[in-house]
Amino acid sequence: MALLELKVNGQEVRVEAPDTALLLDVLRERLALTGAKRGCETSHCGCCTVRVDGMAVHSCVVLAVRCEGKAIATVEGCGDGMELDRLQRLFLEHGAVQCGYCGPGMLMAAQALLEQNPAPTLDEVKKGLDGNLCRCTGYTPIFDAILAYGRGE
Amino acid sequence: MECKLIRPADLDEALAAREQYTHDALPIAGGQSLLVMMRNRLVAPAALIDLEPIEALRGVEVSSAGISIGAMNTCRQLIASPVLGEEVGVLPVAARQVSSTAVRNLGTIGGNVCHNEPGADLPPALLALNARAAVRRRANAREVPLAEFFTGYFETVLEPDEILCRIDIEHPPAGAAGVYLKHAISPEDLAMVGVAAVVVPDGKQTGGVAEVRIGIGGAAPVPLRAARTEAALKGAVLDAETARAAGETAATEVDPPSDPHAGADYRRKMVSVFVRRALLQAARQIEENGHGAA
Ligand SMILES: Cc1cc2nc3c(=O)[nH]c(=O)nc-3n(C[C@H](O)[C@H](O)[C@H](O)COP(=O)(O)OP(=O)(O)OC[C@H]3O[C@@H](n4cnc5c(N)ncnc54)[C@H](O)[C@@H]3O)c2cc1C
Ligand code: FES
Ligand code: FES
Repeated sequence: MALLELKVNGQEVRVEAPDTALLLDVLRERLALTGAKRGCETSHCGCCTVRVDGMAVHSCVVLAVRCEGKAIATVEGCGDGMELDRLQRLFLEHGAVQCGYCGPGMLMAAQALLEQNPAPTLDEVKKGLDGNLCRCTGYTPIFDAILAYGRGE
Repeated sequence: MECKLIRPADLDEALAAREQYTHDALPIAGGQSLLVMMRNRLVAPAALIDLEPIEALRGVEVSSAGISIGAMNTCRQLIASPVLGEEVGVLPVAARQVSSTAVRNLGTIGGNVCHNEPGADLPPALLALNARAAVRRRANAREVPLAEFFTGYFETVLEPDEILCRIDIEHPPAGAAGVYLKHAISPEDLAMVGVAAVVVPDGKQTGGVAEVRIGIGGAAPVPLRAARTEAALKGAVLDAETARAAGETAATEVDPPSDPHAGADYRRKMVSVFVRRALLQAARQIEENGHGAA
């Protein structure tokens, strides 16, 4: 076992976990942050996407110990718990959430994209979300929400 | 059984751990393939040796001898590197086509070649660039041309006490152009067929080539160089007809697998199509730029 010192959504936390614990397991099972979803667990679906030092990563294939000293951001860090942030609000307005299982991952991937490229084209949005599957919406509402964010809506 | 994590401070410590554990431990680079293999119970190492802390596996160095790329460079870093874009552009072009953003953010060049998954995008580009693998074990070092590195599906020449440290590439000849084309069902998938071509113009006549190097992935148990096709193109003039003939020769040099994504015959056919297209695109690059950038 290892004692990990992590910084999640700006908060320092200490948590015990096996040496080779996966970030997804630490977030969900030890820190009760269940925003990042468990899907394929093999880096295919993206519903476990979180950001580590700004980069979108699939937390099911990241060793938690590698995240010490880095900034981990999950969907729980969006908005303030009562109010949605602008990207979340646009997801809602565009119907980008149907069953919602892909949503947290989509939001984190979109954040990472928008931080690097504040006004992406449709092709750039598609490339930025290429690690995230959605089985419900057909993607168009998700792309629309992100494009609207880029237009400053 | 719990898997242990060994975090060596430097390469010497990592090599010592490698020697001590051999088959019982595996090095972990980006973890994008290894952690999936562990999760699917395809491998169950007693320990992982973390390559992340090791300085000697990082960075891109340019010297008169060529370009030396640390094994721990991620696809994201390959794509962002201005010097790679200028010197060996076909490599970042291939890196851009690896899987998804999240996998490119963490997956490394070293992991990509050591994993040797059929249809991986970096091996064809590296083969066409004449890359060499700088490999270390505790007692000694060796350098392996990439053309001799891959030995079978998911297999390489690496021994269980070795670590791939760097990928070395000589400066491509002046004016060379490089192209990588990936044929996949969806762009995030592994390539059914991936073709890289580096074309060196002869500088005398339009389409005239001094040398052509072709790397092909997904179409045989290992990524390979199309040696006979290359030989036939030496000194040729690259036009629609020579490119077509080259594609047909290349199709006879591969030994494609059949899987649910594509049958062997289809893959073979696609090798001829994509070799032709890659050669013509490289020729166009040379013509348009007056020179290319491999
Ligand atoms: C869903 C998915 C889709 C993918 N699609 C593509 C694709 O389209 N194209 C493509 O090219 N790849 C694809 N990949 C593979 C991806 O690029 C891998 O991340 C990469 O091949 C492995 O790199 P890594 O750094 O993550 O290595 P790891 O997973 O850490 O390691 C892979 C293997 O290499 C060994 N190893 C790693 N580094 C060294 C070293 N320096 N010395 C000795 N041994 C070492 C490890 O022990 C392990 O056996 C995909 C992977 C996934 C999960
Ligand atoms: S659960 Fe991580 S990518 Fe599917
Ligand atoms: S809303 Fe159901 S998976 Fe995307």
